[in-house]
Amino acid sequence: MTGITFEGVSKRFGKVSAVEGLDLEIRQGEFVSILGPSGCGKTTLLRMLAVLQQPSEGRIWIDGSIVNDVPPSKRNIAMVFQTYALYPHMTVAGNIEYPLKKRRVGKAERAARVQKAATLLQLEDLLHRKPRELSGGQQQRVALGRALVRDPAAFLLDEPLSNLDAKLRAHMRAELIRLHRRLGCTMVYVTHDQLEAMTMSERIAVMRDGKLQQFASPQDIYERPVNDFVAGFIGTPAMNLIAGRLSGTAGDRVFESGPWALPIGELALMDESASGDAERRVRIGIRPEDIMLDDTGDAARVAVVEPAGHEVIVVFDYHGNDIVARMGADVRLRPDDVVKLKLRVDRLHLFAVSDGGRLNDDVAGGRNS
Amino acid sequence: MQTGHSIWRRILFNVFAWTVVLLISFPLLWMILTSLKPQSELFLIPPTILPSEITFEHYQRLLTETPFLTYLRNSLWLAAGTTAVVIVVAALGAHSLVRFSYPGRERLARLVLFTYLLPSVVLIIPLYLFMIRVGLVNTLASLIIAYTTFALPYALWLLRSFMAAIPVDLEAAALVDGASRMRAFIDVILPQALPGIISTALFTSILAWNEYLYALVLVNSDEVRPLTTGVMSILITSFNIEWSLLMAASVMMSVPLIVIFVFLQRFLTSGFGAGAVKG
Repeated sequence: MTGITFEGVSKRFGKVSAVEGLDLEIRQGEFVSILGPSGCGKTTLLRMLAVLQQPSEGRIWIDGSIVNDVPPSKRNIAMVFQTYALYPHMTVAGNIEYPLKKRRVGKAERAARVQKAATLLQLEDLLHRKPRELSGGQQQRVALGRALVRDPAAFLLDEPLSNLDAKLRAHMRAELIRLHRRLGCTMVYVTHDQLEAMTMSERIAVMRDGKLQQFASPQDIYERPVNDFVAGFIGTPAMNLIAGRLSGTAGDRVFESGPWALPIGELALMDESASGDAERRVRIGIRPEDIMLDDTGDAARVAVVEPAGHEVIVVFDYHGNDIVARMGADVRLRPDDVVKLKLRVDRLHLFAVSDGGRLNDDVAGGRNS
Repeated sequence: MQTGHSIWRRILFNVFAWTVVLLISFPLLWMILTSLKPQSELFLIPPTILPSEITFEHYQRLLTETPFLTYLRNSLWLAAGTTAVVIVVAALGAHSLVRFSYPGRERLARLVLFTYLLPSVVLIIPLYLFMIRVGLVNTLASLIIAYTTFALPYALWLLRSFMAAIPVDLEAAALVDGASRMRAFIDVILPQALPGIISTALFTSILAWNEYLYALVLVNSDEVRPLTTGVMSILITSFNIEWSLLMAASVMMSVPLIVIFVFLQRFLTSGFGAGAVKG
């Protein structure tokens, strides 16, 4: 068994629980993002992997052996810190060379490997500078160089792009993807930026309050969020969530919110038996791109129009709810216009109000219909 | 109008500052001048400011006829020994107080500061009895231990604020890069804390260099006497004070400190700044 496995891992700080009962299996060579809002436990997870923190419970496996009690220096894991944590008193070459020195790599080989890393990251001209003489992007590359110089079993990256400006961030994102493809090693990437997670990862682990919410491919997470938190967290603008109640039986079910009744008979519930026929409180979720202008739809008043060049984001007042829709750039709307809107019922998401869990089965027909 | 006002302010400020400087430095100047005057000129009334004839005979007598050099050697050993012990213990201790979490950590830190609040006179009798019991009385080691007891708390607090300012990630990075805890401390923490360590070392060595009371009580043979008590014992007797020798000795006692200061001054000021900001 290769890769990284978390088995029932918890971490508590006093009475505060940072990570709770985490089970996660990361495959060899996979690029996995740990995504969640601040304080969701994602950095703690990474630090446990790097053994900077010990789990309170559970086991962590790396490449088939339990590493709970293995000191960080004995695990072949490299980490890039959010602050880069470059050694200020060492040159760029010294920084990159440091992990090799600690592993008693011979001098000639050290020089060769530093040179190789520097070439890969275009740092050749900077090798004799001190970190404070470098720009943010250069410091970032040195931090990456220090991590990859020793061929680690896994790379841990703790929000490595968050200190860069927007343009450089987009550039480094592409660089990281390219780097991952070239090195083919496992990368665990912690971020609170869903765009980074969505664009770079093979799979995303969404966390909230120390608990894993969903671990799936970016597309799965976008199309089939397991609960209303994941649904609202992923996607910009966020998915519209409207509370109401469900009535009727399978086949002719209706979603009611105030005077508004939306027939959703075509949605299949995952557990028809448990739902019974009783009324239940639910939330429907609809992505902004699944709302269309349609003359057969219901009336909606335009509240806000946000042109973004290639698209227009419009906030409508629809049956007393604010809903956000993504329209083509050719749509010309002004505040207080009244139009007809239709929701694509086949793309609705249904969540229980009680625990936020997903109720309906896969999005009918899938994305490609 | 505005500029005239600010010029006056500057002049006033300068006059005030230089007055203070002169007041403070006059005894020092007088010490140097006196040490260079011939014996005959010492007690002239009115006194001469500048010596009519410069002589180094007092220095020569001091070095050849008195155990001054033995005292100097002892003082150097004391300053170096105390500084070494204090810096090693305080650097490790401060790192522990900043980085590790264990019950009673803050209380321990305050307790250490509390010992610093005790006047050293209070500790002198217990320390003396202790030195007798462990057989260290009348040795340089006894003085190094004694000086450590009151230099260490301050050093610990000073270094603690320095260590707290070093990013935690640096150490974490070193650990992940394959260093042991001790190695990470030496490779990464120490270089970062260097200004703090230097100013702490300076403070400790000055303290050990100038200490008088403990040296008087714990040590009473010429072999182990430091400069402070040694110079007093040979030059000041009930019948006579050898002023010119005393001044020459004082000048020579000041020289090592001045030399250290000139070299390390920038670290010292940056050290005080860091301490102040961190509180």
